[in-house]
Amino acid sequence: MTSTTTATSTRERRAPGTPGGRRFKPGTWTMFFLALPSIVLLLLIHGWPLIQAFRQSLHDGTLINPGQFVGLQNYIDNLNSPTFWKAAGFTVVFTVVGVFGSWIIGLGLALLLRTRIPAGGIFKVLLLLPWVVPIVVSSTAINWLVATSSSPIPMLFENLGLAPPLFLADPTWARILVCVFKVWVSFPFMMLMSSAALASVDETVYEAARMDGASSPQQLRWITLPIIARSTYISWILMTIFCVNDFPTIFLLTGGGPIDATNSLVVLAYRTVFQNQQVGLGVAVAFMMTVVLVVIATLLYRQIRKAAI
Amino acid sequence: MSNLSIPDFSRRGFLKVTGAAAGLALIPGLAACAESKTQTGSGGAAGTLKFWDMPWSTGTYDKASQALVAAYKPAKGLPGAALQRIQWNNFTTTFSSALASKTGPAASSGGGFQAFQFADQGYIAMADNLISTWEKEGFKKDFLPGTIEAMKTDKGYVGVPWQSDYRVWWYRKSLFDDAGATIPTTWDELMTAGAALKKKGYFGFGLGAGAGNSFGVQGIVMMMINNGGGIFSPDGKLDLLNERNVEAIDFVIELVKAGISDRASVSYSADNLLAQWKNKKNAFGIHTAGLNDSIGDTTGDLVVASPLTGPHGDKAILAYVNSIMMYTNTPSQQATEAFVSYYIKNMKSYWQQGVISALPVLQSIVDLPEFQKDEAKAKVVKEYQPVAKTFGARSDKLFGAIGQVDGSQPLNQFAQAVLGGRTDAKSALTTLQQGLSSIVKS
Repeated sequence: MTSTTTATSTRERRAPGTPGGRRFKPGTWTMFFLALPSIVLLLLIHGWPLIQAFRQSLHDGTLINPGQFVGLQNYIDNLNSPTFWKAAGFTVVFTVVGVFGSWIIGLGLALLLRTRIPAGGIFKVLLLLPWVVPIVVSSTAINWLVATSSSPIPMLFENLGLAPPLFLADPTWARILVCVFKVWVSFPFMMLMSSAALASVDETVYEAARMDGASSPQQLRWITLPIIARSTYISWILMTIFCVNDFPTIFLLTGGGPIDATNSLVVLAYRTVFQNQQVGLGVAVAFMMTVVLVVIATLLYRQIRKAAI
Repeated sequence: MSNLSIPDFSRRGFLKVTGAAAGLALIPGLAACAESKTQTGSGGAAGTLKFWDMPWSTGTYDKASQALVAAYKPAKGLPGAALQRIQWNNFTTTFSSALASKTGPAASSGGGFQAFQFADQGYIAMADNLISTWEKEGFKKDFLPGTIEAMKTDKGYVGVPWQSDYRVWWYRKSLFDDAGATIPTTWDELMTAGAALKKKGYFGFGLGAGAGNSFGVQGIVMMMINNGGGIFSPDGKLDLLNERNVEAIDFVIELVKAGISDRASVSYSADNLLAQWKNKKNAFGIHTAGLNDSIGDTTGDLVVASPLTGPHGDKAILAYVNSIMMYTNTPSQQATEAFVSYYIKNMKSYWQQGVISALPVLQSIVDLPEFQKDEAKAKVVKEYQPVAKTFGARSDKLFGAIGQVDGSQPLNQFAQAVLGGRTDAKSALTTLQQGLSSIVKS
């Protein structure tokens, strides 16, 4: 009682506008009530399913029965499963290649398109196509190109007297193909982000650098990259989330195969829930992914704040 | 309005009010959810039975099935029936969530082992009474041998058969002629013919195990069953490492290593596999009884081969007997049985109109001239039906575990490992046994 009274009296003593008693501006209530339907909707749409999903991850149920409460057993089972770690490993490879592969190509093209080249506008539009075309269409096209022995690329190899690689059937080739495909569909996004960041760089900075004798690589290293650092970190965060959560790219091309070679965590979660009908185990995978993503995003976000400009 | 514009409002206060408002708003939602669980929603509103049917064929099947259901005239006092089409995409989830929320159908068609799974969880109304009625009427005799038995579990009959889906050996006559090979009737002959076909660049063991393609799994399980093995022991336990299975998988791996099976088939989708048949790359292999329809072959070059005989003289093929199942959540079990009985007795119109490529389970339909004119399917029923076995091949009754196993991840990985030729039989079967053990709850 004493401490409560003390706290209350302290609050009462604070004058409006002092640091401990920050006030909202007039009209805040109105804005709050205007925003209330959206807040409620968000809680209903995101909050409730999230709570239900977490509850499922603590049970050993199927799609139809909630099952027995098993505590953290599903999480422990996943951590002890070689399949989980294999999927985690591929997710890391897929994400690192997806983020940095698409960033390098995207930044390179953004720098190139910054210079005056003939029909630059047309190139910009054409380069956006891989991002614009639905994944289901582009993955079908890739499948048509490489899947069977009578597909165009294996036929080309055969006509050249070479043994056609098993692009989707060999584990190593399948991993390479999936990663390359991801880079291909993602670089236009990175190009757009980089182009937007480069547009804000003052041309006079480069003129001054050139007068001081800085070479092109030096300008890139010491001027361009630091100036666009914030935008770069943001694009890395976004692309990391896109890659880790990317279900269609992998599932449509390989379904996670052959023999789990391209099984990422999100595909594993899907297959565990819908193919093996182990709902708790699959949802636990999804929650573990979320935790890792939040950690990665937080670390990268800190980098944004540290960025010099 | 002026009361809303309170200037002295701290951030902490804002959060408190927001939380409270959200909590208040959530309560009705939660209450509604809780309420919906207590409602006794039935497999149909008062006056109608809900019948859920899958798109078993394209186009004309839809109209034919709607007409069949619409023509149902219930006996006095019983409700009529309404058809709802359920798509195959995520159909297990669709059924599961509907059953859990008591908004599911009174009767439905569905996946091959769906009835077994739902029966295990108490959602299926057993068909024993209906089958017993048919026996008294003499109608039960019309079912082809083994089809009603394929519905049998320890608890009773989980459904009534309405059509079947066999895995069938097909060959391309022109490719065999080109290679000078003889159509195989035994495993040894398959190896010999496959080697001759391989020299011409054709494949003698056409399967596919890519994303969403279950022919790889089914073909390999069929080889195990063909050799007297299978996934389960006679008492329904997982039994992958028996000698017959090891021998069968050794044989398949030998076919892969000899190049008789296409190594790229590991990643073939169902469409890729059809393309291989269409492009005359596959000369011999396993598919559905409707392969010729699927690739639009009307030349007669695609022919149904006879079931193969294994090295120990066994002859068997894999079959799925699809059922019409009834659910416990119904306005009236008597009404559901009356509708299902009507449906089964009148479904011959599908085959008379030629709107379905699945195979009939009634002898009266097999005898129809419209069915007999399709030589391939008539041959399948004549030669394959007597040796047809289900996933539970060595057991005289089926069980829910089959539903958990069919389409599962470990089986797909197993098929990919075997068709990739990157394993030996014992290792592949051991991995499969371990994988399935974690899924099957005994």
